[in-house]
Amino acid sequence: MPPSAERLSRPYRPFRLAAGAGLSLAILGLVILVLSSILRAAGAEGESAALRVDIPHLLRMSAIQAGLSTALSLFVGLLIAWALNRLRFFGRDLVIALFATAIVTPGVVVAFGLLTIWGRNGWINRTLEALLDTGIGNPIFGLGGILLAHVTLNGAFAARILLARLDAIPAARLKTGQSLGLGAFERFRIIDWPMLRGTLPGLGAIIFLLCFTSFPIVLLLGGGPANQTLEVAIYSAVRLDFDLRGAVVLALVQIIVCSGIILATTALSPVPASTGPSRAQTWADGTMARLLQWLVLGLGLGAFALPLIVVIVDGLGPGLGRVIASSSFWSAAIASVAIGLASATLTLALALALGLGRAAATDRWLKLVLGLPAFAYLAVPAIVLALGFFLFVRDMGVSPTRAAPIVLVLANALLALPFAIATLGPPLEALASSRGRLIRALDIGGFRQFQLLEWPLLARDMGVVFALAFCFSLGDLGVISLFGTDSFSTLPLLMVRALGAYRTNDAAVIAALILLLTLFAFLALPRLFAWIANARSR
Amino acid sequence: MLDLTRTTLAVAFTLAGGAYAVAQDLPRLTVYTYDSFASEWGPGPALKAGFEAQCTCTIDFLGTDDAIAVLRRVQLEGAATEADVVVGLDTAIAGEARATGLFAEHGLDLSGLVLPSEWTDAQFVPFDYGYFAYVYNTEALPEPPTSFEELIALPDDFKIVVQDPRSSTPGLGHLLWIEAAYGERAPEIWAGLAPHILTMTRGWSEAYNLFLSGEADMVLSYTTSPAYHAVAEDDDRFAYAEFSEGHLPQVEVAGILASSDQQDLARDFLAYLTSPEGQAEIPTTNWMYPVVDLGDALPEAFTAQAQPETILALDEDAVTANSRLWIEQALAAIR
Repeated sequence: MPPSAERLSRPYRPFRLAAGAGLSLAILGLVILVLSSILRAAGAEGESAALRVDIPHLLRMSAIQAGLSTALSLFVGLLIAWALNRLRFFGRDLVIALFATAIVTPGVVVAFGLLTIWGRNGWINRTLEALLDTGIGNPIFGLGGILLAHVTLNGAFAARILLARLDAIPAARLKTGQSLGLGAFERFRIIDWPMLRGTLPGLGAIIFLLCFTSFPIVLLLGGGPANQTLEVAIYSAVRLDFDLRGAVVLALVQIIVCSGIILATTALSPVPASTGPSRAQTWADGTMARLLQWLVLGLGLGAFALPLIVVIVDGLGPGLGRVIASSSFWSAAIASVAIGLASATLTLALALALGLGRAAATDRWLKLVLGLPAFAYLAVPAIVLALGFFLFVRDMGVSPTRAAPIVLVLANALLALPFAIATLGPPLEALASSRGRLIRALDIGGFRQFQLLEWPLLARDMGVVFALAFCFSLGDLGVISLFGTDSFSTLPLLMVRALGAYRTNDAAVIAALILLLTLFAFLALPRLFAWIANARSR
Repeated sequence: MLDLTRTTLAVAFTLAGGAYAVAQDLPRLTVYTYDSFASEWGPGPALKAGFEAQCTCTIDFLGTDDAIAVLRRVQLEGAATEADVVVGLDTAIAGEARATGLFAEHGLDLSGLVLPSEWTDAQFVPFDYGYFAYVYNTEALPEPPTSFEELIALPDDFKIVVQDPRSSTPGLGHLLWIEAAYGERAPEIWAGLAPHILTMTRGWSEAYNLFLSGEADMVLSYTTSPAYHAVAEDDDRFAYAEFSEGHLPQVEVAGILASSDQQDLARDFLAYLTSPEGQAEIPTTNWMYPVVDLGDALPEAFTAQAQPETILALDEDAVTANSRLWIEQALAAIR
């Protein structure tokens, strides 16, 4: 479609554009504020020890690792989404929810779940030793281990997002395809692929950035300092060297590299296909394809769900009663849920403002600019963000301890934002391009447009976003480490404290409970949203 | 939607604010410490109860995630800090802390304390100690190595798990231990250890957990770690491997900030911290040796395995001046 026709096909929505642009500027301002707070606190003199690190080497190492992780995650995610979209079985919703939980679970918890299966003393080794008197050794440490963990975390998440796209294929199109007698491969190429390709670049960018900046997993499974990321260098610049200027310079390098990746992928991103209300899938593929789908699903479950199930099983052991009986558990749980709800609400509001603004934009560059701020949290190193927030809050004359919950809500919302945009962006864009003429013809305002079109069609997706943001907040250790806490605690913080005090069993219980809560949120929240939307349209 | 956001934020504010609504009349002592010291499993709660019973004051423990974070926070806050006392710096960063000029003299007589070496520090008060050591399971490993050289000579599939010296306090302690034992030869020892290092974790807890789940034969921890398993889990299979090169102590210290307007109260707290009552709380909450002789009050598990025979030491100024260089050398040697 030529640009002029494109422009004509979309209703003019100045408020949406202004809200999106304003928000983008606000997030950009926040990043600048954070960095400048740090620079102001940094001493002016002295040579920078942090800058002695070999930046090109670190970038190269991180890029290789993140590139491989992303490619594998997308491939695996695509396969699983394909299989899940076609198959119907008892417990399917639970499986889908389980896949979504991986990415929001604290990375270290997932890593230990993987170790229970793949480690030297893990199930595979112990089984092989019992049966064959041989083992697979220690395959999980080194680049292989990092990739395995990253694919577990992100591949399952990719599957969840891609599945949502496949499930949104309008029933009419499926009916046409079925009547044409498309084979499994043709069906994927003609019907599925156009739905997916709009989502892949954004999803790939998120996964790449997550792996590029991943730090605890890289250290835990990396097998020594050969596998390092820039984020580690930044962390040590802040903590060990207390070289704040060096940390800001390294952070800027990371932000520039990440922005380049984001710009490249968003610019390349093709226009997504239109979306419709999701219907039950009634068109099954041929026998061979179905066998392959079951195989993919079985392997996927084994590889992705098992490490999480292990965490739950391990946690619901002897320490459960003790943890549940403690008041600190309940106050942490309440704080976590309150913060989770607040940041999920904020995430949804931010994502809608950015997504609606972006979908209303007809100018290619404006679209690009509106897409950038969603990624702020992934590009800015967590420790730099924490330090910047801390200094900023202090400069404002507020006690950091008192500000901790607010900062946590904001940081968690920013953390979940790219995922929210990846989920909501493509369908919003699709709606704008396919229903634009209709909206212009009806001559309705922006609010009615949301009420009549976007909300009923995307309520379930918004539920997914809300659940995602809520769970991110539940699982994230966040940026409050510098803020200091006394009576205030969240579940992941409590888990880390238990680990630090040798209380491995208590930590396992808390990890399992976080996972169960996450699972519940993923099952319940999208349904709740869809139910509210249906109730209202009736 | 926006209204909802605002309401939720307001609720979060109120929740957070409510926790700070406390009596204003009593003098208040704010103690910055690392998180596990302040947590419900650490010594914080018992020390708070014990000291408040005798001081007519309120004491607040504020936990930041580790000892280095505590120091960085007071450095960032400078004279405007809310902290009166810092608890939990260790010997590896004491020099750097001293150089900031933020700490006042404690003025306490510490000659009665029992420590690996005589204590003459005017600013920092020691409150517990341990030695960096590799911990192992005596059932799985009946004959542990007895020196770094023996460890290096073992087959490559003998694995240890250690912490990254750039992100972890024991990780840095491990590095200093090797430095104290071998000096110029340290890089050679690191190169020898390289094939045995399963991984270098970000913090102590990941490493210890890897060891407990059977992924490694030994873990870098403290000579006092086995006491935890014996006391809290009634499991006496764990021990530390005593090395003939000797062991480097980690002494944890507390200091009073010069900017505090509660100098007397702060001094009283440090006196309480090093008194037999205060010290009695330390071993089974912080899992370190006390700095006074507790007699029968010290669980037997702490003496079941004797403290190391040879004790190493490093000069504080040398540590401050060279740790960055040593870290670079060590990482280069195992890369």
